[in-house]
Amino acid sequence: MAAHEILAATNAVVTLDVAIPGTVWPWLVTVNMWAKSIGTGVIFMLFLLLRKHPDSAKDLRFSTTLVSIIFIHIFLLFTLADLHQPFRMWHIFFYPHVTSAITIGAWMATIFVGLLFLLAYFSFIKKDNAKFDKWLTPVVILAIPVTMYTAALMSQCTARELWQMPTETAQMILAALLAGSATMILLGGSKLDVKAQRTMGAVLGLSAFMSFTMYMAEYIFGPMKAEEVAAVLEYIKGDGPYTVMFWLGQWIAYLIPMGLILLARTNNSASILKLAAILALAGLWVVKHVWLMIPQLLPMS
Amino acid sequence: MQLGFLVDLHLCMGCKGCEIACKVENEVPLSTWRLRVKYVDVGTFPETKRTFTPLRCNHCENAPCERICPVSALHYLENGIVNIDKERCIGCAGCVMACPYGAIYIDPQTQTADKCTYCAHRVASSMMPACVVACPVQANIFGDLDDPTSNISKYISKNQSNVQVRKPEKGTNPHHFYTSGGNVSLHPLASHRVDGHSLFNKITTLPVGGHH
Repeated sequence: MAAHEILAATNAVVTLDVAIPGTVWPWLVTVNMWAKSIGTGVIFMLFLLLRKHPDSAKDLRFSTTLVSIIFIHIFLLFTLADLHQPFRMWHIFFYPHVTSAITIGAWMATIFVGLLFLLAYFSFIKKDNAKFDKWLTPVVILAIPVTMYTAALMSQCTARELWQMPTETAQMILAALLAGSATMILLGGSKLDVKAQRTMGAVLGLSAFMSFTMYMAEYIFGPMKAEEVAAVLEYIKGDGPYTVMFWLGQWIAYLIPMGLILLARTNNSASILKLAAILALAGLWVVKHVWLMIPQLLPMS
Repeated sequence: MQLGFLVDLHLCMGCKGCEIACKVENEVPLSTWRLRVKYVDVGTFPETKRTFTPLRCNHCENAPCERICPVSALHYLENGIVNIDKERCIGCAGCVMACPYGAIYIDPQTQTADKCTYCAHRVASSMMPACVVACPVQANIFGDLDDPTSNISKYISKNQSNVQVRKPEKGTNPHHFYTSGGNVSLHPLASHRVDGHSLFNKITTLPVGGHH
């Protein structure tokens, strides 16, 4: 047995304890958050495009709704897969506990799915754009809390000081804007004119910038607010287990796409914009995963 | 009636009798624990000391696990015990994430959350929790916090300047107290936890519920 390292400050070492739980919420929850960002983000972007660039967006109603339905179902599927008793999912609706963000989120997501199918009905079967646009507004309004409720859930994990409701809410909205704009750049393709592409590029770039700024603020100032935050952030500093992954995520999701968007604007290049969109989507998963994992490494007892 | 626990760490000698009694009484599966005794060594040889800290659910008055549970599987009993209905639990592990004390686990056999219930089934039959009965030095004191004549109330009153709870800054108002504890005993970040350096094996973490 190797000699114990002893902290200079306390000279205290845990010498006998039971094995503590490993990761409680694994990568399945990362996929959950990532897919939800796309599912609600494209709805936000469709709403924006229909108002700012109606000619570009007029043929995107059904395809966007379909993409939203697919990704919201991925979100729901992975949520279900993460349950240790998935066949009891119905308990959420029959034995609801309203103080839980999980309960409220499940209800809202269910209504959201219903409304998405209604939009699909109007756009694909009825071909009624007026009704679609009329119903899109309440869907967008509902998409806001559907996007944000995971932040409430994370903040209910009171032991995890890193996940504070105000910052996580902003990060969830920014993730939806980033993922939504990136997906629309890829989905819209040539249907989006140059102005619409620029708008999507601006949303992508600005949300990447804001997200990156918030992560850096947490990285630098987080340790000053709580001892637990300081301990958690050590996992992404120095030779911490998630240092490489953290910086990889920041570069792929935010820094490189920001640079590429500037390049795409100066060169009027749709290809570079698409590359930025692909990187942002891939990087977002990495960023979310690191932020989900690191607080779980901290021993609670 | 509000039931509570107090552990006199000055008396605890780390025999783990409570841990074993709990395991047997509640048929707690392998690799999981409702109650455990953590050893922390303090100092540098030859000036060393070993502390023993029994850790269990704190049965908080403002329990984060109860708040986050989407189906009310975790619920309060009238006597203040935070109990769990395993038939209702969906295994979302929200409670495991919410507990600031790491006191909840996913039972690998039932795939539902589980934790110390202060032996609610024994209490309902006017018996003491199994860990209290097993303790050879009466370090575990259990009773009604609302009754000023109960042993626990008297103990708290007598040791007022020396009574602590874990992580009071979380605002959970635990119904579980310690006397003669220090920062090292009660604060997980005050001691170093080195991978592979536990006395009997190198296993320091286990998969939650055994399926991930």
